[in-house]
Amino acid sequence: MMRFIVQRALWGVLVVMSVVTLVFFLIFVAGDPAVTILGPQARAEQIADFKAKKGLDRPVPEQFMSYLGVMPCIRKDSPKYLGPDGDRGFCGLLQGDLGESYSHHESVANVIGYRLPRTLLLASLAVLFELVIGLTAGIIAALRRNRWSDTAIMFATFIGISLPTYVTGPIALLLFAFLLGWFPYGGYGVDPLDHIYHALLPALILAIAGAATYARVMRGELIETLRHDHVRTAKAKGMPMRQVVLKHAIRNALLPIATLIGLSLPFLVGGAIITEKIFAWPGLGLLTIESIESLDAPVIMAVVLMFGIAVQIGNLLADIAVAALDPRIRLD
Amino acid sequence: MHSTPKTEPWRPARWLAGSIAALAAALLLGWAITHFPKAPIGPRYIGAGHSSPQSGGTLIFSAGSNIHTLDPHFAYDTLSTAACRLIYDGLLDYDYDGNMIPSLAAELPTVSDAGRAFRFKLRNGIKFHNGREITAHDISWSLHRLLSETTGSPGYPFYKSILGAPSYHRGEAERIEGIRVIDDKTIEFQLDEADQTFLNALAMPFAYPLAKEHVEKLESAEGLDAVGRHPLGAGPFAFSRWERGVQVELHRFEEYWAPRARADRMVFLENISPDVASARFRNGDLDVIHRPSKVNRLFMRESKAWAPYRAEVPSPSVYAIGLNCELPPFDNVHVRRAVAFAIDRSKLERLNPGEVLAASQVLPPMLAPYDPELPTRQRFDLERAKEEMRLAGFPDGLSEPITLWVRGEGDVRGAQLFQQDLKEIGIEIDLKMVSFATYLKETGKPRVAQAAFTGWHQDFPDPSNFMDILFHSRSIHPVNSENRSFYRNPTLDAILDSARAEVDREKRLALYAEANAILADDAPWAFLSYAVDMFAWQPYVKGFRPHPVWLNEYRNVWLDLPRKRVSQVIYHEGAAP
Repeated sequence: MMRFIVQRALWGVLVVMSVVTLVFFLIFVAGDPAVTILGPQARAEQIADFKAKKGLDRPVPEQFMSYLGVMPCIRKDSPKYLGPDGDRGFCGLLQGDLGESYSHHESVANVIGYRLPRTLLLASLAVLFELVIGLTAGIIAALRRNRWSDTAIMFATFIGISLPTYVTGPIALLLFAFLLGWFPYGGYGVDPLDHIYHALLPALILAIAGAATYARVMRGELIETLRHDHVRTAKAKGMPMRQVVLKHAIRNALLPIATLIGLSLPFLVGGAIITEKIFAWPGLGLLTIESIESLDAPVIMAVVLMFGIAVQIGNLLADIAVAALDPRIRLD
Repeated sequence: MHSTPKTEPWRPARWLAGSIAALAAALLLGWAITHFPKAPIGPRYIGAGHSSPQSGGTLIFSAGSNIHTLDPHFAYDTLSTAACRLIYDGLLDYDYDGNMIPSLAAELPTVSDAGRAFRFKLRNGIKFHNGREITAHDISWSLHRLLSETTGSPGYPFYKSILGAPSYHRGEAERIEGIRVIDDKTIEFQLDEADQTFLNALAMPFAYPLAKEHVEKLESAEGLDAVGRHPLGAGPFAFSRWERGVQVELHRFEEYWAPRARADRMVFLENISPDVASARFRNGDLDVIHRPSKVNRLFMRESKAWAPYRAEVPSPSVYAIGLNCELPPFDNVHVRRAVAFAIDRSKLERLNPGEVLAASQVLPPMLAPYDPELPTRQRFDLERAKEEMRLAGFPDGLSEPITLWVRGEGDVRGAQLFQQDLKEIGIEIDLKMVSFATYLKETGKPRVAQAAFTGWHQDFPDPSNFMDILFHSRSIHPVNSENRSFYRNPTLDAILDSARAEVDREKRLALYAEANAILADDAPWAFLSYAVDMFAWQPYVKGFRPHPVWLNEYRNVWLDLPRKRVSQVIYHEGAAP
């Protein structure tokens, strides 16, 4: 197990590093951050000044190595630019320094520190909705196979999977916020309970597709499991149906669900880009859009890094969860 | 295990039930669509009904773009200024009629030395948010920070008239000679020439005092712009936190010298588009809205239910076509007048109903001595325009088109409106679209732009802020002229100079009235329109009124909480609660 985790972690680091490298150089293809940040009114000397301060006037490979933290700092506005002995210090990823945002005038760590809890709140509420709605619907459908409730649920899941959030989101805002007035019209709110209230509608929208997928997978798995010998044995022993389903069938049927949850974690963060934009939810998704629009390179890099890590951790957790739920699987 | 494919037996009852269910669902959907809730036509929430002001609650308002800084020495855009007005306080302020009133000062200053010296006495019990009492030394120290070249504040030009300010700014003097601290509670300003507009400069957010110990500690640790991120002032609200681009949060400062009822918290949302802000406002998520989107603005104007909770007021600004008085054909006053008379400004009013007013002179309607019946006022009069063209010696129009500089799509639409009007008197227009940076740079140089869309928004409510800056020959420079029509009139210069020095208010206004008439008649600008702002507030927001100087004035607002939700049904009778 340990060996598997270490192996996977190393593999993950490699993947994340490749993505980071790719994006770093893509930003240089995309345009000049100095011009985008300072705006069309900027004079040439202001642009030169900005570039010198941020180290953007250095050769690109040096910028990259410095960003990684294997070459000395080139950002003159960094407190680490001058090291303790008067020589240049390091201010890169290896030192845990994500740099300073161009447009927020604040450290990237702080900017992400504001945004991450919000995205986590939205994502965890969405996962909760997905599981509660999806699993309940899936179990009901499986137990009432081929009856009208099953047909209705399967029809609903079909629609749920087909509807993208950029369709459901604005409709939900219009209907449940603006017309009915049950929910706030987007935004984040001003205190903790208010944040949750503001998160309900976007979380529901975000959960639709996931819940539909879970319902279908759960139905299929449960039907399959109910046919297994051990379930038949339990039934034959005279165990009440309710206990058979809860104790023997569902546990087995949950295996693929665990994998799906693990795999969906990064997508909840990434997929939240559209939902966060529609609901003006100031999380990482909105930050991603804003930072790409303004070519705020340090923030783009940090967000890419975080998404990459989230994907790796999600996959790893899915594998571990499956191993924990299924004694037949050993990770090595 | 075996599995043989089974075919489902034909069950008519199931099919029947299914069809009925589908039909019922379709009917239900149809019913839902016809009984769909309508957009809210009035406020969703009303106040609790307190008659006396109450403290508490959170006031939420928004803006369409970013706040740049919370350091008043650098705040020169409307949003930053609005936020600074909540956090900081100054010696002087304006009331809702635009009159100057004392704020940190105990009373208006005593004037001596023929209008060149102003002595202020500070109010007792005025404190910074760190609890320290504000003294005259703080006022002096803050102005020294504002006016030093290392600070580089855009506010410096407003304070040049303080004795010794220019040499201090250039770094030639240690102190500004004209700022004298008499004792802890008394400060005197000495100007090098009589200037009555100086008090307006002192009322600008640039002059708001900062706490020295706070500024020095922050600046040495984090640099010059650190104060703009962690402000500490003496205003009614203290800083809680600022998430750049998202929101600024403030909390009530309990030791503010005017202990009125106020909200516990203020949340200033940034980057909310007018459409989203309007929907949130109508949904009850925003407490005050300024400039709703076009559609919502039209709706609010018509809505009876919102009528008691909205206001439309002209903004202190003017929009115009600037005519370069040094370049032909606009070196001829008759051609300039012809343009001013040829333009049918009512087209702008029809295109943007309620959003603009036709302009007739440089001063906007709320600023004395604006005169709606000004004899020389500019207005649409085709016969007069043709007559002026004859007087100019162009009875058949100009032989060559004129080049009109425009800054963007808005200007282009405006220009297209008037293209036909000018053709009527034989003037053809070529549009020259440039970026705002190029526009600023090039129109500030003499003999470059023949004509250009232009405008002005006041810095402080005094006619000099329009006339001196835009039309005095002193504002002409080789580069970066503020007088972008390069209008030179010694008579006007003399009137403006004596008005600036005049202590008697009535005499001053009479002089500016004279200048106003000259400017409308000489037409260095063909005035187009004044913008009209719309504000709306929720019924539970009390004490909000549009302010003639400050765009977002929330200092006196209190919330009548808990707010009560009301059904939209009550509005169908057209009544407002």
